[in-house]
Amino acid sequence: MIGNFLDQFWSLTFGGLSLGFIYILIALGYTMVYGVLRMINFANSEIFMVGTFATIIVIRDLFKFTQASEPATGLRLWLVLATALIFSMLVSGALSMLVEIVAYRRLRRMNSGVLAPLISAIGVSMVLAESVRILTDSRPVASPRAMEKKFIGQFFDAGIRIDNTIIVTSALILFAVLITFVNRTRMGKAIRAVSMNPNAARLMGINIDGVVSATFLVGGLMTGAAGFFYTLKYENTASNIGFELGIAAFTAAILGGIGNIKGAFYGGLALGLLETYASFFLGTQWKAVTVFVVLVLVLYTRPNGLFGEALTQTRA
Amino acid sequence: MSTSILSLKSVTMRFGGVTALNDVTFDVKEKEILGLIGPNGAGKTTVFNVITGVYHITSGSIDLQGKSISGMKRYKITKGGIARTFQNIRLWGDMTALENVMTATDTHKRSGLVGGLFGSPVSRREEKRDKKRAQELLDFIGIGEYADRLARNLPYGVQRRLEIARALGTEPKLILLDEPAAGFNPAEKVELAKVIRKIRDAGYTILLIEHDMSLVMKVSDRVVVLDFGQKIADNTPQKVQDDPRVIEAYLGVPEDAS
Amino acid sequence: MINLRDKGAAIWENQGRFGRIGIALGAMTVAAALPFMGGTILNTPIADYESVLVYPIAMFVLMAIGLNIVIGKSGLLDLGYVAFFAIGAYTMGLLGTRTGLNTWEILPIGIAMAMFSGIILGVPALKLRGDYLAIITLGFGEIVRIVALNLGTLGRSEGIINIPTPPGIFGIEYRFDSHRIYYWTLLMLILLAIWMVRRLSVRRAGRAWESIRQDEDAAELLGVPTFKYKVWAFVLGASVGGAAGVFYASKTLFIAPDNFTLQISILILACVVFGGMGNIWGVILGAVILGYLPDRIRFISDARLLVFGLVLVIMMNLRPDGLLPRKKREKVLPNKEKP
Repeated sequence: MIGNFLDQFWSLTFGGLSLGFIYILIALGYTMVYGVLRMINFANSEIFMVGTFATIIVIRDLFKFTQASEPATGLRLWLVLATALIFSMLVSGALSMLVEIVAYRRLRRMNSGVLAPLISAIGVSMVLAESVRILTDSRPVASPRAMEKKFIGQFFDAGIRIDNTIIVTSALILFAVLITFVNRTRMGKAIRAVSMNPNAARLMGINIDGVVSATFLVGGLMTGAAGFFYTLKYENTASNIGFELGIAAFTAAILGGIGNIKGAFYGGLALGLLETYASFFLGTQWKAVTVFVVLVLVLYTRPNGLFGEALTQTRA
Repeated sequence: MSTSILSLKSVTMRFGGVTALNDVTFDVKEKEILGLIGPNGAGKTTVFNVITGVYHITSGSIDLQGKSISGMKRYKITKGGIARTFQNIRLWGDMTALENVMTATDTHKRSGLVGGLFGSPVSRREEKRDKKRAQELLDFIGIGEYADRLARNLPYGVQRRLEIARALGTEPKLILLDEPAAGFNPAEKVELAKVIRKIRDAGYTILLIEHDMSLVMKVSDRVVVLDFGQKIADNTPQKVQDDPRVIEAYLGVPEDAS
Repeated sequence: MINLRDKGAAIWENQGRFGRIGIALGAMTVAAALPFMGGTILNTPIADYESVLVYPIAMFVLMAIGLNIVIGKSGLLDLGYVAFFAIGAYTMGLLGTRTGLNTWEILPIGIAMAMFSGIILGVPALKLRGDYLAIITLGFGEIVRIVALNLGTLGRSEGIINIPTPPGIFGIEYRFDSHRIYYWTLLMLILLAIWMVRRLSVRRAGRAWESIRQDEDAAELLGVPTFKYKVWAFVLGASVGGAAGVFYASKTLFIAPDNFTLQISILILACVVFGGMGNIWGVILGAVILGYLPDRIRFISDARLLVFGLVLVIMMNLRPDGLLPRKKREKVLPNKEKP
């Protein structure tokens, strides 16, 4: 077993890395919203799920790929990928803003405490998952292959697959863009101000509703990108994938310290690798359990995550 | 010479790099009214929070009747004999005034869940006794007529007093009042001063944070002054008022800062 | 907005002792007579009417009462309530098929198992803040299902078959198709649960939970052992879920992991929220309506979870207190027991 593991170490690692980057992007959705509202966006998992379907719509319906068609090459390939990425991001981003308006806004204005918005978001998440389930007849949907999954290099024994490379590179770029946005732009600074102290930010004349909307938008964009990468990697989706990926990404966010953007990065990577290695030894059916055990251990032993704020309540 | 009920010895409280309390030492003596004053941000409420176990002190010790209470669970400290009110009223709004006080009197109940479930005689007796006790406390504070009103529908002044009645419900030896006169008009303040003295005369010890200087000076037996987390004076009201360090600390700050 | 609860409470309070007993008996008679109304407008076109009364309706009511202790009384969001239901059901399944124990003997064991897992989950989880509790319980519910799905002893995806029906008592036979017998037995369990909740709500435990729900920090500082009472709420909720599970397994005679998905937790949550968190009559009403409608109206049956999701969003935003809100009204009468 160990021998097998060492043989496959690098290929597992590459798979784990690309999964890790998918987690990072979804975890950003959780972490951004948490940073500003101090609430878990329960619907983020379904925003991701919708993002995977947006990608399929572009590949299958817009560019008319079928299971039998030839994968695209050259310029057309890049056009397909770019369109699918941007479309998924926009769909998820818009959906995320809508979720905020439907599930959170009114309750936030009423100052309703923690419970009501959580339940409301669970409701929205249920509505999204069920709508898609009904539209897809509860069946998984395969994505036609738009890109040939060839190896573009070799690292020790492991081949470096093009889709994993694309995922890692583009996710890194998106992450860098996000960091720049948060640190450099006016809106990014406003988001940080609100997450540090909402009341002071309001007194400073910052439009809180606008900032919250923008936060959901940005979180949704990142989550939508994750949807695209997921579909590219696994070429398959279903109305119920949100739950498992969502709880994993949330665990990643906690691992890195929720509310902390860099934390989401390290947490996502760590969890992607850990989950891949663990699945190798235990079998994939225990994947969700592994993730959950990590979540529980982190919450109990290092509730601050590796970088984040304290989670246990110490107000008085 | 009366004995001290609570003593803080060299209490220091740091939050990260900020020192909120620095080497604070003082005693609260039995059956006295001790005023705790100081400019905004001097660390008064932090003192309450360390005494009641909300924060764990960085160093020093806090003893209640000779027994250390630092690090104890909060409800156990309350059970041990310290109760408090809150600067920003924190009643349980969806409960009646009576229920608010009864929840506090439950502190010393012996019967718990199982007794309550099967209506054990102990539970029934205690329930009856506590109901009576809670009503007495409301009457004692002068808000008995509001017993069956929901706490959040009560007038502001009654809410403030209900906080005091609720704290008394835990049968404390020492009661910490955090700005009980905030938002009161002069007439209500006079009324409150009477209530505070009445509480002391009933055998309780009181530690009082208050911004209204004339109220503090009038009711306190002794006054401790904090400034930037340090104790700068500990004396009778008269002497404190004349203390140059206290005057300096308050200089530029209007006396009635609230 | 009209407050049905206050109307109801007013009628109740204006009755004398006999009036109240009359109302209670009347309500019980109506509930007990429901199986005979299959031929009326109440009939369900989609599923067998009498079996609908047992599951989902009565089963939902029982579970909603249990979950209400956790979420409604103490304000703790438990999204993995189905786990206790599953633990009860699998206890029945395992012991019922492998030992000579019968349903009535397994019932206390199943309840104990559910309570025990409530402690295992609750003691660490209840130290965390509300939203983390939600995630942890959500995960726990899934874990229980995944374990059932992957352990050979629990039958994996095939589940457990040939679970025995309860043995007859007082000459009453439990045949798998005698739905009304099961329904009446469930009514008994429901009455027992109502009694337990009512009993606890008026005394110390009820006040402790109420104070925790409204301001946990203040409660702790005023001498309420908050952690202890949170664990109690959790464990009591679990016990009701476990009892429902045992009985469910003994009714369907076949259980599989698919019966215990996250959706069940959300359905029960919807019942509690729809009816009115914290008010037991509201919760019962909510569970009856949400258990019944999907089998009455075909459209809802196809999109049942969608409807339940909508219920959650709409109720939270427009009427967060539910159909029958918890106590809001103040007694106008002077306090009779005033000393």
